[in-house]
Amino acid sequence: MTDDTKLQDDPMICGLNMAHRDLLQRKLRELPDTPPPRAVWQRIEAQARAEGLFAARRLGQPMKWLAGAAIAAAVALFALRLPLAPEAEVPGNVFSTEPPYQEATGESASVNQLRAVNALMVRSRELESDLRALPEQPQLVQAGTAATILDLEDRIAAIDLILNDSGGHLTAAQSEAYWRERVRLMNSLVRLRYAQAQRSSF
Amino acid sequence: MRTMSKFVDIQIDPGIVRLAARGDSRAHEIIYRTFGTPVYSICLRFTRVPAQAEDLLQETFIEVIRSIRSFRGDAPLGAWIRRIAVTKSLMYLRSAWHSRGQSLDDDFDETVAVQAEGHSEFSSPDEAMDLDTALANLPAISRTVVWLHDVEGFTHKEIADLMGKTESFSKSQLSRAYQRLRPLLDGGARIDAADDAAFGSCNATN
Repeated sequence: MTDDTKLQDDPMICGLNMAHRDLLQRKLRELPDTPPPRAVWQRIEAQARAEGLFAARRLGQPMKWLAGAAIAAAVALFALRLPLAPEAEVPGNVFSTEPPYQEATGESASVNQLRAVNALMVRSRELESDLRALPEQPQLVQAGTAATILDLEDRIAAIDLILNDSGGHLTAAQSEAYWRERVRLMNSLVRLRYAQAQRSSF
Repeated sequence: MRTMSKFVDIQIDPGIVRLAARGDSRAHEIIYRTFGTPVYSICLRFTRVPAQAEDLLQETFIEVIRSIRSFRGDAPLGAWIRRIAVTKSLMYLRSAWHSRGQSLDDDFDETVAVQAEGHSEFSSPDEAMDLDTALANLPAISRTVVWLHDVEGFTHKEIADLMGKTESFSKSQLSRAYQRLRPLLDGGARIDAADDAAFGSCNATN
């Protein structure tokens, strides 16, 4: 739009004289606005959170402790390669898995880890995109499913908190571990939401 | 006289904007609650399709959330948000034209011109006062030009830049829209006979 020092267009008399034009402009400005449906902000908020556009929610001290414990447990389980949760009830070949874990040794270790982190970041973005493409959660959801989804989201948020606030203090190995865990949790979330969408479509 | 937009009139606490720039979701919700209705209204005005207007509203505010750090506060926040909404709406209109194999220049095609002369949509007094309907019956680009120019206060140059067209294109669209809206105004305006002499000439000066 113009700034205050610029003049607006001179009156244009083609088709309307000044009285007509003033009347038209006044009536146009008097036309009522239309409020948007209520659900739109929820969609915007969900998308913004999925894309990591909002700052992580501030956690209370007990929640910080729990989040820290959850992350520590997740990393430990990852190191032991133990399954954290049963897979959701969807066909196993619907989603691709995270990039393969590569055992790195010697000087090439950090290079391999950086490559792995890049691949995991790409995969993470793909999963965010998959999640956004799924329909909204149904109004009525099973309590167990809702709790699992919330739990996954909280754990992803906790990892994001660490990745965002690390300020470059994480080693390549730690970074890879967190990103791998994030992809795994995202994969579980997408599978769960996919199953939920499948159920609600029947 | 300078046309003032509703967007520019809306004031918001600079502290809210600063919080939003730090990614505070509550601040963004306040901004949405403040500007959601005018953004949705303008998107609906341009597209006339509620579902599409909802999508554009969502895209607009996602862009606001993404980019608010780059908002420097030189202009009112409303003007900045409006620019995003208008750009996204125009992108939608362009894509719709593209998919239908039409170009922006074809907006006032032969069918529309014949309809305007022969159908006389605004012939009855009741219909004549229904500006909303009359505006909605304009071709999308003409409607958009009328709104941007007469309500939002954009110049023809600004409209031309937004649409990737010339100023003449914008003036032409506005002129033809006025021609179609004029019968509507004849029912509601007391026009001096001397003023009527102005009709028939096309004196677009800028």
